[in-house]
Amino acid sequence: MYLNKSIKEINELLKNKTIKPIDLVEEAFQNIENNKELNAYITLNKEEAIAKAKELENKEVDNLLFGLPIAVKDNIVTKGLRTTCASHILDNFIPIYNATVVEKINEKNMIIIGKTNMDEFAMGSSSRTSYFGAPKNPWNKEKISGGSSGGSATTIAARDLPFALGSDTGGSIRQPASYTGIVGMKPTYGRISRYGLVAFASSLDQIGPMTTNVYNNALLLNALVGKDEKDLTSVRKEEEDFTRLIGEDIKGMKIAVPNYFMSDIVSQSITDKVKEIIEVLKSNGAIVDYIDVPYLENAVTLYQIIAMGEASSNLARFDGIRYGYSYENPDNIEDVYLKTRANGFGEEVKRRIMVGSYLLSGENAKVYYNKALSIRDDMRKALKKVFEDYDFIIGPTTTTTAYNLTDPMDDPLKSFMDDVLVIPVNMAGLPGLNLPIGFDSNKMPIGMQIIANSFEEAKIYKLASYLEKELNLSLNPNGGEDNE
Amino acid sequence: MSNYIPTIGVEVHVELKTKTKIFSNSINGYGEMANSLTNVIDLGYPGTLPTLNEEVINLGIKAAAILNCKIRRVMHFDRKNYFYPDISKNYQITQNDTPIGYDGYVEITKSTGEKKKVYIEEMHIEEDTCKSAHRGTKTLLDFNRAGVPLIEIVTKPCMSDGEDVKLYLEKLRELLSFGDISDCKIEEGSMRADVNVSIRKNESDPLGTKAEIKNIGSISNAKLGVEKEIERQTKIYEAGETFKPQTRRFDDKLNDTVLMRVKETGNDYRYFPEPDIPYVILTDEMIEDAVNSIPMLPDERRERYIALGVSEINTNKIVANRSLSDYFNTLLDEKINHQVASNLLLGDISGYLNKNEKTIYDTTLSKERFIELVNLVSDNTLTSKNLKDILDIVLESDKSIQTIMSEQGIENITDDSEIRNIVKGIINNNPESVNDYKAGHDRAIKYLMGQVMKETKGKANPKMAMDILVEELN
Amino acid sequence: MEEALTKEEVLHVADLARISLTEEEISKYQVELKKLLNDVEKINEVKGYDDDILIACWNNNAELRKDEEGTMLDPKEVVNNAPRHSGNYIEVPVVISEGEGA
Repeated sequence: MYLNKSIKEINELLKNKTIKPIDLVEEAFQNIENNKELNAYITLNKEEAIAKAKELENKEVDNLLFGLPIAVKDNIVTKGLRTTCASHILDNFIPIYNATVVEKINEKNMIIIGKTNMDEFAMGSSSRTSYFGAPKNPWNKEKISGGSSGGSATTIAARDLPFALGSDTGGSIRQPASYTGIVGMKPTYGRISRYGLVAFASSLDQIGPMTTNVYNNALLLNALVGKDEKDLTSVRKEEEDFTRLIGEDIKGMKIAVPNYFMSDIVSQSITDKVKEIIEVLKSNGAIVDYIDVPYLENAVTLYQIIAMGEASSNLARFDGIRYGYSYENPDNIEDVYLKTRANGFGEEVKRRIMVGSYLLSGENAKVYYNKALSIRDDMRKALKKVFEDYDFIIGPTTTTTAYNLTDPMDDPLKSFMDDVLVIPVNMAGLPGLNLPIGFDSNKMPIGMQIIANSFEEAKIYKLASYLEKELNLSLNPNGGEDNE
Repeated sequence: MSNYIPTIGVEVHVELKTKTKIFSNSINGYGEMANSLTNVIDLGYPGTLPTLNEEVINLGIKAAAILNCKIRRVMHFDRKNYFYPDISKNYQITQNDTPIGYDGYVEITKSTGEKKKVYIEEMHIEEDTCKSAHRGTKTLLDFNRAGVPLIEIVTKPCMSDGEDVKLYLEKLRELLSFGDISDCKIEEGSMRADVNVSIRKNESDPLGTKAEIKNIGSISNAKLGVEKEIERQTKIYEAGETFKPQTRRFDDKLNDTVLMRVKETGNDYRYFPEPDIPYVILTDEMIEDAVNSIPMLPDERRERYIALGVSEINTNKIVANRSLSDYFNTLLDEKINHQVASNLLLGDISGYLNKNEKTIYDTTLSKERFIELVNLVSDNTLTSKNLKDILDIVLESDKSIQTIMSEQGIENITDDSEIRNIVKGIINNNPESVNDYKAGHDRAIKYLMGQVMKETKGKANPKMAMDILVEELN
Repeated sequence: MEEALTKEEVLHVADLARISLTEEEISKYQVELKKLLNDVEKINEVKGYDDDILIACWNNNAELRKDEEGTMLDPKEVVNNAPRHSGNYIEVPVVISEGEGA
């Protein structure tokens, strides 16, 4: 058992040849096997992973991530490894190129263990829209893991392996991280190349790291960022070490808590827990103010319009012509479209792309989409203004803790409301992180969101790690101890 | 049949002359093996994103400048959403809100000599679709053309007959090919025109029902198609009938337009700003650089050639040949006889180039050697007969023209007294012709001149010989 | 606000999205889609914003790509993933009308 050790310890063991990458890979696959009923994975990469681990035996251990297993959300394309987006329409799809982030983790010689379960095309908040069935919450197998990056959250929370990639369009990293008690970061829009991330809502999507602790999260982010010539929306920034502020004091830091985040839309056990944290922060020298931020309550509406509108266009390419599932006996070309898409997409996806098509049709684009872009810009400005006076915005990540897998799915608004607190961050392109801060009375994890100004991820890690150390929670659902 | 007033607008797509596609770095090429010029971006693979070719923007600026358009400084792209097998993402990336150029015009000259402006509503950048071939119950898709950069140029409905359309298309083709924007080869599809035609009884009436003519294979067919369409619509109205807005295509075999489909009301393209491409902001420097690198355009070429004394016929012939015209442009500031230079280029040299399937740039005729040649011919040191004899050497070796002439034994007697002696001898030996000359028979002097050339074996400088002959006869 | 879309409205958006629906689905979506659309109407309650549009959360200038060729796919790779193909071509049932685009 090595994977529960700290990354620095594992790195030492690899360097002095006490262990080999294959030991880590085998341990990860054993863990996944033991946790099979959690349904965290859609596809495992066993043969390739073992081959890669063996190949690494002859290579110099040249970085902290060398030889470490990682899970990749199944909407990030992996050359030669099935990528389904948890959809029937891609359930036979083998990509012929790698996403930029996959190239980057390959450069670090990390080993991809498998592709994680998710909501179909990342549309959902419980991973229950997956064609492959929902993953289960390691804290309580009756509960959802959240979504859409539910499989990545599950495998990390279950301690199968130390690293996973998720994607976050309207909270899809932070919300499942909160439900499963792990650390999940949605970086600033443009930080990480989206090339190879199957687009849901292009102006909101962002890939991010999901890990058991803050340090690992920052370490993985180091490997993922950078301007990519293949993604015009990626941003050129000077290279930095996101772990560099970890361990620094938070005295004098100014923190804003939007009143909306603490309003009655959030269950009391969660607001109580956040209030406790606020006291901890204050007693450690931070300054915390409650403030009003305009437009926060409009975020879900904006999100619905922008995300469904963009999705209706982004998912048009799945038509049964160039790749993927195609209706077997079409009479004509219209049949190819209509029946491929009717059979290939699940209900949530169909609902969203139909509504999205409506929102862009005729004059509606002006009435809805363009208007949403205008308001989004104002909302972004309003949030940016907060950062003229404050270092951070904090609040609960979710309004409740993880609910039952068997809860009804017939309310089309439910999945949006689950993300009401996390969506504003995507709207403004800001970085946001979920930090586990405790448990409710049912021993289900509660998460807090830490938001900073654009490109200030390092600062977020500083506050998060400070609290992580201060709270010193036992976050292993199997009961074992985690090392740093 | 009573007269109707036609209103015609034209939409032209031209493929831009770039090395690579607009949104990916695969090759922009024609006539290659099916699906050999593609990558995952052209095929709309999941997860792919567009990049933007800088040369496309550059050519877009040039085209806008050439078409006298205003140039937009901040622009974005839009998605035009529609399901069709020829568009891999089922949306086309185009410019709907912010076309790079707008409010332009080109000027045409009608056969009556009347000059007319054809107004350009807007011109925008977009991607081409894939090519489909229909085979029985199947359609075959070749994505080589998918993502080739296009500009679409949309005129105002300001033309009124087939001739306008023909002249506009010819002008556009000339401007864009001289501007190095596009090959403008209609037969290869690198220039494609759709023409909208409607007619109405009076200027004050609202515009009539529109028919769009597609699939026009040549400029003359565009003219013919418009004329046929005006005829067709007139007949319908004269019979007291109406028709629905429709798309027609020009049929080469019938030499007429045929119905493709009646237009459905309101195509719903669900345009919205393309979120994968940030704003494109044109700086003064980008615009200046692009505009300054526009080659000299045909009208200016014509003006300058005429001003240098080149005949109108020669001017038009040279401008019609891009590489000859570019070559000729290098001589504009030289003190030479430009008419002689144009004669040489269009005469024997063009003959040689055509026979050998070469351009002037494939020969050894440097600017300096051409100037020497023009001067030797201008003062008759080199006669056209002699030039014919040495032309291959002139165009295939590096030697000076004088050297070639002497190596080939082409002497030129320019010694006054030598020629005068010979002339005197001829006059003495041909008294009849001298009398004929004095009686006013022009032919006599030609005969005498011929005798002089015969005596000198063609080596006498013809101009000098003639001058001396006339002198001596008088 | 209305509780349901008409059948025609559902069929229209299904056509835009190219999804065929069963009668049962049509009646289900009449309600579900309307619920979403009613929610979206909340945008009309937002007041006081300015009309500028920002396409996304960035306002950076697009970095243009040099016009230099990159690697391309082998035609075999192109057709291998396609559900229907013939030789180097991707195949679809015959398309009658011409494209609306370029």
